[in-house]
Amino acid sequence: MEQLIAALFQLFEINHLIFLFAGTLLGLVVGILPGMGGTSGLALVLPFVFSMEPSYALAMMIGVLAPTTTSDTFPAVLMGVPGTAGSQATVMDGFPLSKKGMAARALSAAFSASLLGGIVGAFMLSISIYYAIPIIMAFGFGEQFLLVVLALLMVGALTGDNLFKGVTSCFLGLIIGSIGTAPITGDPRYTFNSLYLIEGVPLVVVGLGLFAIPEIVGLLDSRGAIAKSLKNEKGWITGAKDVLKNWFLVLRCSTLGCLVGALPGLGGTVVDWLAYSHLKQTTKDTSQFGKGDIRGVIAPESANNAKEGGALIPTLIFGIPGSGNKVLLLGGFVLIGIEPGLDMVTTNLDLTYLMIWSLALANILGAGICLAFASQISKFTLVPYYILAPVMVCLIFFATFNINRDWFDFIALLAFGLIGITFKNFGWSRPALLIGFFLSTKVELLSYQTHAVYGLSFLTRPVSIILIVLCLATIFLLSKQRFDSNYKSDQKKGKMTQIYYVGFLLCLPLTMIFFTSNLDYRANLFPISLSIIAILLLIFIFIIKVTDLKNYAFLNYTFMNFARSNIFENGSFNNQLYYFLSFLGFLAMNFIFGFPIAAALFINFFILFHNRQAYQVSICISLVLMMILWSLSSLLTLQFPNGAIGLVIDLPWWLGGELN
Amino acid sequence: MRKFFILLLVSLFSLASPVHAEVDFSNKTITWVVPFKEGGGTSRFARFIQPFLTKYLPGNPDIQIMHIPGGGAIKGSNYFQKNAKSDGTFIFGCSTSVIVNVATGNPLVEYNLSEYKPVLLLPQNTHWFTRSDLANGPHDLSKLQERDLMLYALKTPASADLFHIWVFDKLGLKGAKPIPGLSSSGGYQAFLRGEIHISSHGAANYVKKVKPEIEKGKVVDLMTLGIIGADGVVSRNPLAPDAPTFPEMYEKMNGKKLQGDDLEAFYSIGAAWSQASKSMLLPENTPDEIVKAYTDAAEKMINDPEFKEKAAKALGPFPLIVGEEAGAIVKKAAIFSDTTKEQLNAVLNKNRFTYRVQ
Repeated sequence: MEQLIAALFQLFEINHLIFLFAGTLLGLVVGILPGMGGTSGLALVLPFVFSMEPSYALAMMIGVLAPTTTSDTFPAVLMGVPGTAGSQATVMDGFPLSKKGMAARALSAAFSASLLGGIVGAFMLSISIYYAIPIIMAFGFGEQFLLVVLALLMVGALTGDNLFKGVTSCFLGLIIGSIGTAPITGDPRYTFNSLYLIEGVPLVVVGLGLFAIPEIVGLLDSRGAIAKSLKNEKGWITGAKDVLKNWFLVLRCSTLGCLVGALPGLGGTVVDWLAYSHLKQTTKDTSQFGKGDIRGVIAPESANNAKEGGALIPTLIFGIPGSGNKVLLLGGFVLIGIEPGLDMVTTNLDLTYLMIWSLALANILGAGICLAFASQISKFTLVPYYILAPVMVCLIFFATFNINRDWFDFIALLAFGLIGITFKNFGWSRPALLIGFFLSTKVELLSYQTHAVYGLSFLTRPVSIILIVLCLATIFLLSKQRFDSNYKSDQKKGKMTQIYYVGFLLCLPLTMIFFTSNLDYRANLFPISLSIIAILLLIFIFIIKVTDLKNYAFLNYTFMNFARSNIFENGSFNNQLYYFLSFLGFLAMNFIFGFPIAAALFINFFILFHNRQAYQVSICISLVLMMILWSLSSLLTLQFPNGAIGLVIDLPWWLGGELN
Repeated sequence: MRKFFILLLVSLFSLASPVHAEVDFSNKTITWVVPFKEGGGTSRFARFIQPFLTKYLPGNPDIQIMHIPGGGAIKGSNYFQKNAKSDGTFIFGCSTSVIVNVATGNPLVEYNLSEYKPVLLLPQNTHWFTRSDLANGPHDLSKLQERDLMLYALKTPASADLFHIWVFDKLGLKGAKPIPGLSSSGGYQAFLRGEIHISSHGAANYVKKVKPEIEKGKVVDLMTLGIIGADGVVSRNPLAPDAPTFPEMYEKMNGKKLQGDDLEAFYSIGAAWSQASKSMLLPENTPDEIVKAYTDAAEKMINDPEFKEKAAKALGPFPLIVGEEAGAIVKKAAIFSDTTKEQLNAVLNKNRFTYRVQ
């Protein structure tokens, strides 16, 4: 209790507040930008946190995570586009409300609901921390192993309708995660004798590549819906009153959000829908839903903010991410030298409390800022994307480079970017890939450790039995849900490409088997068995796709029909690959000019190509960026990648030249 | 080419002037390469030393710390080997794992660590302990020795944790079996849950996490690695003065003094694991007067009362090692003799690991 209060006072020290505030602002911004969410936002700050005090870094990271699900309401209500995956359900009633001229009421209700939800989440988190020690002590290797298995099964739920592709994505993630030094024997696996892969593929590279790049490309492609202006809107007070009137709904939905969030791996993409369907089931008059019922905004918004607190529970006490963005948060913990687990509730309890207070305060700050500056903030949705995109690409490149300081990071980033783009458009699951990637080492080690300590006897321990029941229940629910899906048999176009793509994905497990087959069995058992499962799944998808294309008769059997309707694609690339090519151009410029000059050139070229008149904007932005890079290079003692030009001309050090 | 040129200049200069020119770093920037991420132990060590070094080096140069993590610390170390100038403007921040990479013959290593010029070493020490129900009081291994299965945490055999295998083997604990993939804090948690039987921690975590459990009576001390003096005498760890050192425990368990090949292996392991836990080195071929300027600065630094006061808290209770003694330790740590390597490979083989020291 004392520490709880002490942590509050610590948070109110000016430095903590500054970092928390900076994080909150960034979180608000990434929340507003449609498609960008906590994962991308956190990936952007990670490179900076490790030069900070751990407590500042935590305040900042929580600051980024907490408000993204508050500010994502702006695009949801004003444009009908969810700002993050967590606000898809908000669009259902929020956008109709806005069309009816009640945007202010919808926004105000959403922010108030978010605020309350966030605080409930923080409260539940602090309660569970109080009881955490016995829980942690009850979770041995066996229980942890089952918890990880549960997380992976939950990822199956997270993949939405595309069950088979989701599960396969998860296995591919597990395989990618097994690249690097084998944890049990120390043998290098799939590293091709390079130093770069010895510690595996960097997490930030995977996170930014899979999430940030596809979203940027996708938004460039969509060219944006027209956002509604908030001028002269009224109803701010009505919205807040709506929330107070529905306080019980807020409480129920935030509890729901928190509990679902606490399930490992499940995360935010479903919480809003669960809250929405809970609302529908418990309301008598459902006629207004989908046409602009204010409760349709309140329910998902309170749930999706409360889940942040819930998702922190498994993240902090077991190091098992509660959602996709917690993977990055755990990456941040490693950087500042904090290990999740018992320490978080004993020796590092002060930091845990600090995080809880940060979560509560960031929610208040975020909602407060959104309410107070709604009309100004909503203008963010009006900034043309061709201006934001190149700046974000440069920031992402910078963030990536700063983690490892390696040229290969750029190449790996773009490779994962391409995987992300194709995954997104072909209906494969990126969160499943990320969580599989992250949990890979844990699965491997825990299965070995469990075996060494318990043999099979761990299965009869009481907590294990509860977890096994949970796992079976998840499988049961998964198999129940699948029958209605987005499958359309008329999407002939692109099906051939899809089939080729499956063939391309097959390369990874096949080469993995090839390169690891001569290692010790304790080093290759894990990747090879994963690869075999992945190959079987991929071949299955391949067969279904081919038969689907040819429309063979046996597709009418129930199971085959079930399988067919659960493997489908989301749409086409349009110009996305073409935008991606321009990023490759940026990479090439990096090799020639070094990073700082290439960044300035890229921003100018990109903006001018889309709008000849905008040269003042582009020059301004690139100058500001250069200044920022310059100051960061001295602040972080960072030598930027030097291009070919550096071999000819002696560049100053902040442009990538030699030290001293 | 550039390096060679500087070297030539330096050597010409020293030939030309019979009296050694004063080393002066004024208006220079010194780069301290740390092959780890920010926030790690080696980074904290460098950050702590940095202001004092600026204060005592002639000319009070700026020191910037450059982190090059990755590749199991090999990337940054190789970078240093290739890019560092030997004129005193480059320093290397080294740790046990950097040394172990060399000592175990990792084929990716390109850095010539044994030729580097050590300035300063920060020793560490390992504490071993067990649950009180697994021992007849403190410092007793007899109950564990009888067990068919005695589990302990091991990060990977390709790291300094390899030495645990050797230690338990030499003590004759036949049931000892490593559980791989556990960091020291993950291993400690498993230990508290009762899943593993023996656990270890460095000094800082021993004081913070293990001491309270010992006071509660749940955990008992077994032994420490011991502090190896310049004369090779091993003395007890001041943090656990009652606990025997490894050589004492060896004698108790085997009925004979630690000597011969075992003693040689112990000195090498102790140098890498304990004495040179964190270190600061200058590149190979650094001229003697520059090395001397650095060791002088380090001597002055460790006698600075402000340093003494802060170091006890930030770096732990073990005195820093400066100068010639440091050089001998790093050599011993980086170059394992063939018999030591054979010993390590033998225990690896016994535990059915395929990894081998080269």
